[in-house]
Parts: sequence; structure tokens; C-alpha cells
Amino acid sequence: MSGRCGGVLPFFLGFLLACIVGWAVFPPLLYTDVEQPVRFSHKVHVEGQEMECDSCHFFRDDGSYAGFPTNEQCAECHAVDEPEAVVEAVRGVVGEDGKLEDILKLPVDEMPEELTELVQSGDEADVKAELDYLVKYAIQGKEVPWLNYQAQPDNVLFSHKAHEGLTFEMLKEKHVDLSGIVDDAVMEQGGDYNCNLCHLKDIEKTDTPPAFQRNVLTTYSKITMKMWQCERCHAQMGQVNACYVCHK
Amino acid sequence: MGFDRRTFIQASVGVTVGILFTPVPWKLADDVSIWTQNWPWIPKLKYGEQLDKPAVSKLCDSGCAVNVRTVAGNAFGTEGNVDNPLSRGGICPICANGVQVMNSPNRVKGPMKKVGDTFEPVTWDDARALLADKLAAGGGKVAVISGDQTGTANEVFSGFLAGLGSEDFFQMPCDMQAASRAYNGVMGGAGQVGYDLENADYVLLAGADAFESWGPTVSNMKTFSATAAKYVFAGPVQTRTASVTARWVPVPEEGMAAFILGIAHHVLKAGKSVAAADFAKFRSVVMDGFSPAKVEAAIGVKSAVTAALAQDLLAASKPVVVPSGLSVAAANAAFALNLLLDGGMVSVPEFPKVIDSALSVSQRMEKDLLAWVNKGSNPAVALVYEANPVYALPEEFKAGFLVSFSSVWDETSEKADLVLPATFTYERFDDIQSPYGIAKPVYTAGVPVSRKFLDVMTPADFILGLAAKMDIDLGFETFAEVIAAKAEAVGADYDEEVGGFFEGETVVPEVATLGASVLARGAAPVRGTGAVSLAPYSQLIIGSQNVATTPNAPCVISNNQLVGTTMVVMMSGMTAQKLGVAAGDKVKLSGGNGEATALVKLNEGVLPGVVAAPFGFGHTVGDEFSKGKGDNVYKILTVRFEAATGASVWNGSTVNVAKM
Repeated sequence: MSGRCGGVLPFFLGFLLACIVGWAVFPPLLYTDVEQPVRFSHKVHVEGQEMECDSCHFFRDDGSYAGFPTNEQCAECHAVDEPEAVVEAVRGVVGEDGKLEDILKLPVDEMPEELTELVQSGDEADVKAELDYLVKYAIQGKEVPWLNYQAQPDNVLFSHKAHEGLTFEMLKEKHVDLSGIVDDAVMEQGGDYNCNLCHLKDIEKTDTPPAFQRNVLTTYSKITMKMWQCERCHAQMGQVNACYVCHK
Repeated sequence: MGFDRRTFIQASVGVTVGILFTPVPWKLADDVSIWTQNWPWIPKLKYGEQLDKPAVSKLCDSGCAVNVRTVAGNAFGTEGNVDNPLSRGGICPICANGVQVMNSPNRVKGPMKKVGDTFEPVTWDDARALLADKLAAGGGKVAVISGDQTGTANEVFSGFLAGLGSEDFFQMPCDMQAASRAYNGVMGGAGQVGYDLENADYVLLAGADAFESWGPTVSNMKTFSATAAKYVFAGPVQTRTASVTARWVPVPEEGMAAFILGIAHHVLKAGKSVAAADFAKFRSVVMDGFSPAKVEAAIGVKSAVTAALAQDLLAASKPVVVPSGLSVAAANAAFALNLLLDGGMVSVPEFPKVIDSALSVSQRMEKDLLAWVNKGSNPAVALVYEANPVYALPEEFKAGFLVSFSSVWDETSEKADLVLPATFTYERFDDIQSPYGIAKPVYTAGVPVSRKFLDVMTPADFILGLAAKMDIDLGFETFAEVIAAKAEAVGADYDEEVGGFFEGETVVPEVATLGASVLARGAAPVRGTGAVSLAPYSQLIIGSQNVATTPNAPCVISNNQLVGTTMVVMMSGMTAQKLGVAAGDKVKLSGGNGEATALVKLNEGVLPGVVAAPFGFGHTVGDEFSKGKGDNVYKILTVRFEAATGASVWNGSTVNVAKM
């Protein structure tokens, strides 16, 4: 290794350093974990209350998909008949100048009865989550800004209706290879519903929603489906991959 | 190996090459491109259920029955309502732009009061208290001006006005008013005149621009396209309506009553009669005063033309003559001719009132706003509901304390002392009662179909609240209750989620008199002293007296109406020669109380001696689509009082034209 060509080592060291930073250090820096605004327990609702998926996630009459429940739907069980009275009772505790959310800092037994009597949960953590929902959203008439793990940009039209009939059998028949797109376990497991092809696997069994890994630049979730993923499945299924199919 | 400059460069090259073997540049490029899609000023779509909801659109004078397309409760489109006879799937150019007007930056975003020369926000409670004080101090010197011809909101306003001890309820000048004053006032009829175009086989549109701006235009057009009736248009300008009728008969606007009576002359000669108390006098007036020769001398329409028209009308099994304009005499003449012909003129019964102290529809039409303004009336408080009198009245409108109930900023709001923003027509309960011209009693009740997003209130709700505060009992707490009661009284199939509809039957028109004594004095044409007659005309695409040009409209306004920001007036080559102007010349029109600038366009579809100018331009307040476009033709009209009827009219207006 002469003085002139001793540069091979610095080059490789630089190369190695860049690879380590690029593959190991950089990716985690792109994402930050964000919690859902309310700790919604699928387990409590699905196992405990025996609710079906389509109780909250369903097709509307116009064929569009209602991905998240609205307050109106939640009110079928968590009705707040007189929200003004509850707000007034909470104000009575936190004061006119205080925020309604300040009530959540107090022990439950110090909260007004108008609020606590609305709570249906028994477990302490669930009570806290339910109170979060009631105080921050239900009594104030605000919709919960649920974080969508699979939100697509406005310039992408994804029709749940068009994908409703896609079954695991059809994928197998056509020998569709979705490795790198869909968890292998999902493909092996199969099932009656195809939701797990795109959405978080087994989310209906979770007690605490998984963190939303927000891309600090795009603000989309880390698991949001990319165009190449859509295209690969379309191509293998013999579907058109023209721009206008998704970009209307 | 030391770390010298060479080493640094070699390591940097290594880093640069190495980074290309990682996801960093590719991921960053991808994410940055997506980041650019999400800049905060880029509009976001609203997601939710898409619905098609039936609604009423009160932007145009007649009102349109529409379906509003919503997503997640927000309106994003408007289309005609195929199930409603007013629409049959059609929609007028103003109402077609409903969503654009609703989302316009020109909407009034919250209640405002004038402080000095500027406006300051005020709460609804403070606005109510302020107005209550002004009304209490006004001692009954209160007036209401309404631009809504068909709504039950007028009952709330007129009932409230009665509670304050005032009778000064005015509609903005309209054809419906002239027709009502002729039929209910002069002739002693009852109800509202309608024209059965659907069953008519011959229609003489006596100035009524039926497919462009007169009456229920959408219904008129649908009927025209679905039936084989022969249509003839008479008027000073070959309008778009005239361009599709079988014939255009050039008639000066001020000569329309004489023209109609000239036809009546032939019809009477054919032996037609009416069982009216003054028939003999009517016959005498027409036979003596409106002989073919006299009519030709007065308005230039040859006797052969009136004779041929009369022959066609007599030969038809169900002919109908449709008048237009503010002239009570012309309406009277047309109704008398229709009664002689026993054709397609019908009487549409009024729907029952739900507020006892309110005015009926015909009572609302009795008072003459222009005459009231002309005599210098200056009420302590004037409440202006969905109207723009500061823009659309030829005379200056004064009030001690002016309150504007409007959803958008306009000239009246700008002049007002208190601006109370109205919910948009899709955001409130409202209704359409038998728009003038329709042949059957038709009632359409609308409910809110789009979410409110501004601090606005339905004017009738505000008035009901104010009435309660001032101990005036109107019998209702909310306008939703008023509409529900009205629908029930009408017999409509009403649901507070989807609205309601009712269609009734017409009755045969019956009158006490034919208005012979009125026609004897009021039918003769009266013309101003200017160089040429002014024939103003309306196109809904430009707007109406209450609604300015809508956002999508400018791209379809023709060069015959506007070039750049200058209005275009049309005249025949003969008229241009007489005035010493040529096509493309910029001219100043002087008349009434003002002046207007325009470009000259030659059009042989304009009666010689007449200048045709479009209404709807010249707004000084508003958005980019209307403000500063063209000139305001209302300001160059000359208002006069019609002989015998006393009605304020602007037919016969003349202007002087000077080349600029």
C-alpha cells in the first residue's frame, strides 16, 4: 500500500461508515412513535362485548368505506344524553378558566357524578381510556382524530368495495407472490377476511393500539402501502396498472 | 497513515459511494416528494358518506328544487331534482353555482356592526340587543324589504313587522308584483296567476323572457322542449328566448299594453266576450282606443301583425299570453286578453298562512317599494332580507338604521349598520311556494343539507328570537317549526330529515272587472325624452337583482354582454347611425340618476331606436367574479308612475348616448 494508493482504506472506511449510518442509524430517525388519541381496546370490544368488525368498520350505502367510527356510532353504547350538563359539572370542578381536560388529572372519586356515571368499564386502565374519550371528545362534541395506519394521499383512490371480494384462495390460485409486502404468516393463515393483507395483523386482539410510526417528513404511517406494492399485486392478479386506476 | 487532505478526500468518496448503497438518498427523495403534497396550504379532501339530498335553492327569484351532493355532511355539488316539477332534473345557471357561492370568500362570516366607516364583529346576543333597542326607539317606523318572493320567511318578517305596528313590508320590484296588483287589485281576482304552458298549443310571450330570466325558467324550458306548442316572443330585443321561438315580434317595452290590446281588438271583433261587470266599457276602450291603425301609430307594430297574431290565438285550442315587467297595465291587458281567449291562464290558489298576523302573498305584493323610496321615506330601522336594494333600485334608498340579512357581502351589506349573516340556502330550513308563473300550486319544503361552517344564523330564526325578546308572539320559537307547520297546513308530505312536497290543482280564473277604466288611461305608451329608448334585459348567467355573478359564470358570459370589464350594449345599425357611433365604440349612457359606460355592439335583433343593456353588472362590492365588471344599468333607469295604476315602472326609460 503506497502513500499514493493508501487511499483504499479510507475509502472503505468511509464506505462502511456510510452503510452503517444509512442502514442502521438513519431509518429509525425517520419515524417517531405516536399514540392513538384514545387507548381504544379492540379486545374489550371484540372479546368482551362480542362486537363484530363491521359494527364500526363498514360499507356505507353509497359504497364508500367507514374506516373509523364516529361519535354518533360510539354513542350507540357510550351515549351522552346531556353533554351540556356534563360540561357544566366538569367546569364546576376545574373552574371557568380551567380546561375540561384538567379533570382527567384528578382521581376518579373526585370527578363529578355526571361524568363518572357515564363510564361503563371496570378495569382501571379501561376507565381511564373511557374517561379520556368522554372528556376530550364526547361531551365536547368533537370527533376523535383517529390515526390511520393505512391512510393514502388525496391523489390516490383506494376502493375497499373493489377489493372486498379478493380472497386468499384467489391469491393462491394465481400464485401471487406478496413476499415483502404482506407478512408470510398472513398468507399462510388465510381466513375469511382479507383485511390483514394491508392492515395490521390481529389488531382485533390488541388491548392497546400499536403505536403509529409517523414519518417525520411525510406524516404517513410507516406501514402505509406504497405504489409499488399496489402495482405488484395488481400485475400478478392481471389487473390494470394504468395511472387512472388509482389516480382519478 | 496520517489523516491528511488526501485521506479526507478518499474517505469522503467512500462515504459518498457508500451512501448510494443505502436507502438514504432514495428514501429521502421519495419522502420529500410526498412532503410537498402535504404543505399546509394545499386543500385536503373531506372523506365520508356521499349523499344526494333534496333541497331548495333560493338564489334565483323563482327558486330551484335541487339535489345537493354532500360528502360527510358538506355540500360539494348541486344538480336538478328529477322528482320535482319545478326542476324535472334541470337547474338554473345561478342555482347551479350554489356550492361555489356557499364556499365563496365573499360570505359574511359572522355578525358585524358598523363603527365609523368599518365593521366590527359582534355577538349574536349583542346584535339582537342592539336591534331591539333601535326598534324600540324607532317607534314603529320600521320597514322590511324582502327579495324572497316565495318563502314562508316572509310571514315571519311581516308578522314581526305587524307586531311592531308597521305596515311597511315591501318586495323588491318584480313581475309577480305587477301581476298580483293587476289580477288581485285591479281586476278583483283571487290567487296568483299561472300559465299552463304544458297544455297550451300557442304561447305569446309578451316580453316574458321565459327561457332566460322570466318566471320558473327551468320549468319553462323543460315544458318548451317537451311540447309542440308554438311560441312567439314580443319585445324590443331578440333575446335568447326569442331566438328559439317560432317568431320574434319587435315591440317597444313601453308599448306592450297597447300591443296586447291591439290584439284584443281583433279578438273582440271576432265576437269573444267575458262575463265581467265592465266588459262593455272594456270593449269600448279597446275598440276605440286600440284600433290597428292607432296601435301602429303608437308603437310601430303593423296592423297585419296584430291581426295575424290574433288569428293564431283564436285558432289555437288553448292559447296563453304571458306578460312581463313592472307595468300593471300590461299585466292587466294580458289577463283580459287571456280571459277573452279562455285559454291557458289559470288561477293558483294561495296556501294558508301559519302566522296569523302575517301578510298573505297578495298582500305582500301590494306595496310599491319604488314609490315609497321615491317619496323620500326614511324609516328609523329598515330590515333587508335576502335583497340588495342599494344596488338594484334606481333611486337612493335611505334608512336611519339599516340591517342586512345576507349570506354574502353586497352593496346593501356594505351600507348597513348591522350585518346579520344568513345561513346559506342549503344550511337552513326554507321553502318555495308556487313561484310566479307556475300553473299549479306547488310547495317544496327544504331542510338543512349541508353543515354550517360560519357563524351564521337563519334570518327567520333571528327574528323569532327577537320577537320573543320584544314580547311579540308569532306562535313559533324556531323557523323549523314554522316550516313544519306550513307543510302541514299545505298538506305536504313532510319529514324534517328530507323536506316535503305538495302539488295541488288550479282553479278557473274569475275576475270582477277587466280593468277597463285602468286600461283606458294606463295602457298608452309613455316614453322618456332621451335620444333612444333603453331596453334592459336579464340573463341569469350574469346574475339577478339579488345575486351577483356567480363564480363559474364569467367564462360563459358572452362578448355581447361584457368585454373585459366593460359592459356591452346592443343596438341596430340604424340606431348607431342616428347616434353617430360605430361597433366597438366606447359610449357613455346618461339617464335616470346616473351614467354608465359601455361598448357598442351592432345587432339587428334590437328594435331601431332602442339600446339593449344587460342588468346584473356594475357591482361595487363583492368577489372577483362580479366586482368591477361592467356598469349598473339600474342606475340609468327612469322611474315613472303609471297612469291610473300608480305603479312605479321603468319601461319607457330613455338614455342619451355620447361617444367617449
